[in-house]
Amino acid sequence: MTGKSRWTDDKDDAVVAAQRKKEREEKKRAKAEKQRRIEEAQLRHQNEARPGSTPNGHEDSDRPAKRRKVTPGADEQHGESQPRELLRFDASGWGPCRHVDNFERLNHIEEGSYGWVSRARETATGEIVALKKLKMDNLNDGFPITAMREIQTLMQASHLHIVELREIVVGTSLNDVFMVMEFLEHDLKTLQEDMSEPFAPSELKTILLQLTSAVAYLHFHWILHRDLKTSNILMNNRGEIKVADFGMARFTGDPPPALTQLVVTLWYRAPELLLGTTTYDSAIDMWSLGCIFAELLTKEPLFQGSRELDQLLKIFDLLGPPTTESWPTFRRLPNARAMKLPPSPSPHLSPQQSLRRKFPILTGSGVSLLASLLSLNPEHRLTAEETLQHEYFRDEPRPKSKSMMPTFPSKAGQERRRRRASPNAPQRGDAPKIDGNMDSGGIFGRREDIEGGAGFQLKMG
Amino acid sequence: MAPIITGLSHLANPLATPEQLATSPSQLDGVPSDLEVSLRYAGARLTQIAGILLRLPQDIVAQAVVIFTRFWVGESGSLLEFGIKDVSAASVYLVAKNSPLPKSPRSIVNVYALLEAKLPSLGELHGEAMDYDPDSHYVSEGTYQASRSLLMKIEAQMLRKFGFQTHVATPYALCINYLQALDVIGRPKGEDVAARSFAYLNTSLLNPQLPYLTNQPSSLATASVYLAARELEVKLPGGEWWEVFDVDREELGFLVVGMLSTEGFILDEQKKWERRKIPMTVAEVEDEIDRRRILNGED
Repeated sequence: MTGKSRWTDDKDDAVVAAQRKKEREEKKRAKAEKQRRIEEAQLRHQNEARPGSTPNGHEDSDRPAKRRKVTPGADEQHGESQPRELLRFDASGWGPCRHVDNFERLNHIEEGSYGWVSRARETATGEIVALKKLKMDNLNDGFPITAMREIQTLMQASHLHIVELREIVVGTSLNDVFMVMEFLEHDLKTLQEDMSEPFAPSELKTILLQLTSAVAYLHFHWILHRDLKTSNILMNNRGEIKVADFGMARFTGDPPPALTQLVVTLWYRAPELLLGTTTYDSAIDMWSLGCIFAELLTKEPLFQGSRELDQLLKIFDLLGPPTTESWPTFRRLPNARAMKLPPSPSPHLSPQQSLRRKFPILTGSGVSLLASLLSLNPEHRLTAEETLQHEYFRDEPRPKSKSMMPTFPSKAGQERRRRRASPNAPQRGDAPKIDGNMDSGGIFGRREDIEGGAGFQLKMG
Repeated sequence: MAPIITGLSHLANPLATPEQLATSPSQLDGVPSDLEVSLRYAGARLTQIAGILLRLPQDIVAQAVVIFTRFWVGESGSLLEFGIKDVSAASVYLVAKNSPLPKSPRSIVNVYALLEAKLPSLGELHGEAMDYDPDSHYVSEGTYQASRSLLMKIEAQMLRKFGFQTHVATPYALCINYLQALDVIGRPKGEDVAARSFAYLNTSLLNPQLPYLTNQPSSLATASVYLAARELEVKLPGGEWWEVFDVDREELGFLVVGMLSTEGFILDEQKKWERRKIPMTVAEVEDEIDRRRILNGED
């Protein structure tokens, strides 16, 4: 891939360059005469316009005369003497980390896959923050790349609905690194578990709008979150939600680089990831957003698969299996090539119709939004920007204003949280592979065999 | 007041403050400032060559050189505390790790061992480094373990001194973009102008005025285009075209003069270290300072 620097000249370049040079020189000779005449004419013209200046003036005589226009005199000629406003960039600077002793730890909140989070108070200001101590496993490779990405993406994400990373502080040992983040009272997952009723439709719209605006911001800045789920969405008592936990996030590009498909917590993982794609884009976050939307309607995660294959089956069960019309490139995905699709459970129902049946309380525009987010074909899925414009948010009931949002007693504030079983984001490891040496036991046979692995394997028929 | 853009991270760099540039830990430790300049230059060059040996694209190598350079200003590293070779290795490792082309600690250790063995003096780093096969050189297991743990330690220390701010935006893509905007690419000599602009951007990484720490990539790209077009006699639009790229005349002039000075600086450095090995470790820097004291009759 990097055999040679892109900027190095090689022999072929030299040959081509020589040839071009020849052609150019021919052209140049022809042009030279013409050019000289034009320049002379211009010089005469300039001298007339600015009496007193000599043809060669105060500049080097070997420079093309046209360049003379860059002198301030040219401005006066064009009447543009007003100073123009130039953009100034401020990307702040850098300085050494402060010591963690500037903070007083109050209580433990949670242990996640990438660290331990506590509530803490900054001694000097009395401000309450969340302090996340990074896990430093795998020290053979130095500072963990996942933590590095989390810090880098969060440092560059400054948005009302993305949790603010204030600074990194360190302890005395080189392995003691803490992220200082703003403290929020709740996360949506724990909150839902304690609510007797789901959020009201107007509240749900407010939450979803805020969440989508954060995702739109990330995607606009070429950041994929890659682990959107209710437990990673924090909420304060001022009606604001904030996206947190960027442990899986990374920068991407267009065209997207090859990425690992071992991302996103299983229940929120898009079908293209489950089918083993390595070139995916922001659409994977939009699938997660659709799952979160559905979960907020009922307080229950939408697709609770036990492993990759089961997850796919649960998705196809609700939305119908993909067809060559709905997703023409689906068969080209690594894990789909030899896949036998289960028969459509309800062949006469479109995804919209089955979603309507599953969520009878949802309005028509709500169902249409959900179906567009849960489109199996990533190319048909709505983008975050499109989602923000969806009519669902303009229909009655309107999104509730932040100040009217309900408040709740905080679990993170004082108590250790109760944890309910739900899958975690995938760990780094080998990506699922297709096994070439397969028996004809049916593609969904021997499920037990594939349970332990990081991914899953499908049988060739 | 001109509008100030924040958060355009792909285009902008964190810059060194005047205070950071005024005080370096090395000077506080008593390293003569000309020696500091020489060592910073030698380290930047070492980083560039290691990047080539590691087959990293220039965009990533440039980021490593900038990170290396940042390390020595402000409240960061002293040359009497960190060796330039070790910091150079950690810079490449750190930047590559964040890039799409991470390099294993073993590759880094091997390449720096090769550089140390094959290239005892800075003069010999010239040109021929590109011909070495980095895979042909490796170190014993014991040396590897020790080198790797040192690499990790310095990486951790660098991150702390940067406050984990390791972002570097390079001017290369902007430069091409500007050349396209100026309608230079695709015209006769367009590619030559692009190549010369890149050459200016590359050599500016070694410039002792630290342009990458004091100017935004847009300004660097504009200055390199200005110089390249002038030298190759390719006409650019009349008027103050650089203002389109948000560079004012004063900044442009300052950068142009700075970029033109790189060549003379490098020739001086080559002459200075022609017959001597540039001190790559803390112990060697201490020896060099002692040697100068004796020469100056201070002992």
